[in-house]
Amino acid sequence: MHDSYIFQFFQRMRVPLAVLISAYAIATVGFTLMPGVDDEGNPWRLSLFEAFYVVSYTGSTIGFGEVPYEFSAAQRMWTMVSIYLTVFAWLFSIGSIISLLQDPAFRSSLQRSRFRRAVRAIDRPFYLVCGHGDTGRLLTQALTDRHFPVVVVDNNQDKIDALSVEPMRAPVSAYCMDARLPDNLCDAGLRSRWCMGVLAVTSDSQVNLKIAISGKLLNRRCSVHARADFVEVADNMRSFDTDQAISPVDEYVRRMRLAIEQPNAFRLYHWLQSRPEARLPEVRQPPRGRWILCGFGALGKAAYEMLIEIGMEVTVIEADARIPGLPAGTIQGRGTQAETLQEAGIEHAVGLLATTGDDVDNLSILMTARQLNRKLFFGVLENGLSSHPLFRAAKPDFIGQPSMVIAGAMLSRIQSPLLEAFLKRLITGPDDVAGELLERLQSWDQATPPELFTLRISQRRAPAVAALMERGLKVPIAALMDDPAGRQASLPVEALMLCREGENILLPDPATELASGDRLLLAAGTGIGHRIGRLINSENALSRAVTGQDLHPGWLWHRLFPRTRPG
Amino acid sequence: MNMSKVVFGFFVLLALTLNFGFFLGEIDNPDHHNVYELFAALVVGLIATVMKLGERSQMSAMLLASSLVVDLHLIAAAVVWGIAVHVTDTGLTPAVMATIVSLSGGALLANLLSVVLLTMDTAGYSR
Repeated sequence: MHDSYIFQFFQRMRVPLAVLISAYAIATVGFTLMPGVDDEGNPWRLSLFEAFYVVSYTGSTIGFGEVPYEFSAAQRMWTMVSIYLTVFAWLFSIGSIISLLQDPAFRSSLQRSRFRRAVRAIDRPFYLVCGHGDTGRLLTQALTDRHFPVVVVDNNQDKIDALSVEPMRAPVSAYCMDARLPDNLCDAGLRSRWCMGVLAVTSDSQVNLKIAISGKLLNRRCSVHARADFVEVADNMRSFDTDQAISPVDEYVRRMRLAIEQPNAFRLYHWLQSRPEARLPEVRQPPRGRWILCGFGALGKAAYEMLIEIGMEVTVIEADARIPGLPAGTIQGRGTQAETLQEAGIEHAVGLLATTGDDVDNLSILMTARQLNRKLFFGVLENGLSSHPLFRAAKPDFIGQPSMVIAGAMLSRIQSPLLEAFLKRLITGPDDVAGELLERLQSWDQATPPELFTLRISQRRAPAVAALMERGLKVPIAALMDDPAGRQASLPVEALMLCREGENILLPDPATELASGDRLLLAAGTGIGHRIGRLINSENALSRAVTGQDLHPGWLWHRLFPRTRPG
Repeated sequence: MNMSKVVFGFFVLLALTLNFGFFLGEIDNPDHHNVYELFAALVVGLIATVMKLGERSQMSAMLLASSLVVDLHLIAAAVVWGIAVHVTDTGLTPAVMATIVSLSGGALLANLLSVVLLTMDTAGYSR
């Protein structure tokens, strides 16, 4: 039942209300039976109307006195009875209401019903974020900054309470419940036609998996993005078309490898998948040679395999000797002591990766190692965001922040679905291409990442382009880069990829003509997005950009000069 | 036997019988219609309404609706009575009495429906 709290309320209020009505009825009837005398000394009784009047004001403790005539002793006696009767009946019912309002079960059903109503009232595209840890918070913040309403679900009441006092730019509905239950997700708006995407970023991969399955089955149109800590879970998610399954370990290793092999591609990759306020990373190229790896957990293992694969020599330091698959020559210890590091040969190493599951240990390894060998390349894993200021102060060469990486990757994917394909093409191609693109993007003099958006050339999404093509005009990509106002030669816009008939063309030539059905990934400077939006929607502006002439779209003009169409 | 069902049935039935008792008699003769009976019918009707609150079945929704109709009719009848006797000094003329009794007649129909529904519910339950 949808408004179950109302039913609960009435069910609990049945007895108090019945008591109240009975008390009033008894008091009223009693008054009419009591003998009295009027001002002329004649015997007189209150009528039901007058009796109800007297009871109404005595019951509510207002007390006007004795009307219409002074009461007799019998009537006064009954007044006392009715006062105690009605006042206690009131106290009883008000007490029941208050105790009901404080009942945890009632409150939770009230809150849930409010939450459900708030979610149902959302009438624009919104996102459902499951899990409000570091990643969830970053996602919620970034999505509301873009004015998307967000529904947050977490199983920790404290986190939900904390969320309600954070300032946000768009409405955020939060509720504490178990996201594993599909019913709960439906209450959180999973089946709403406005639900654009489900972001499963809880700390438990199995929970994320369940959310991803529910999302895919219950709402075909929304996109599902999930965090998967294990390769098997990520593969499982991809097997049922989860739009994005991100594994922090994979991401870290991929980025590390890119940083070593293709520094330009790494910088682009990192920058484009960062949050809007991020800066282009200045990364020292990781040197080749002998590396020391502290911590052989899931990440340590993956990093070890990657380093070995690209031909590095690696010494592992791990406290727990029972971990399966430890390479020969592993040094036992935590790496926080100078002796352990010296034993691993830190003087002759070129780089060090601190990947233990404890942030304090990682920082400590970093500080100790720096004292022993200043020239080392330091890579460090930052597990939680709470000690971020410390990590920044320690100035490692490479920080791995799982929550930021996941949030950034999900956000850029939400904003531009073609980005993943673009990045895949970019990092498999030569590094020079990435370098040139990076130079062009940097020439815009803008520290924050470019805005990415995907254009679809169709009647509905780009009416102006479609209309011009219908007239037989050729619309090159370069037309979209022109300033509609004609003040600048070209805008800070870069065509990153053209997707045509299933084929992805990396960095297409600006002279390429657009065709119906094309999808185009554009990168643009801040605030350029709406200009391009105007171009693809206004025939006049686009025609000016393509041919340098105005259209005359007025009805009268068409009538008078039917043949003066340009082109 | 369920005590709460007895109490519930008692009030629903009592509301009907009191209402019927008030309704009985010549429609415009004040001597045939006792004000206390109207008062009792109203109070019992209100209590019956409260009893029906918070039930969730389709049948109880209909029961609650009919009970609300009863209350509305009887409150209207009581207000007409009060205004005629105390506010405007018209007194219980045959026209006023006919209004009051016909209003209670409407309530009687709704009360009857309540009892019929309750009986059907009980009969369906035992089957």
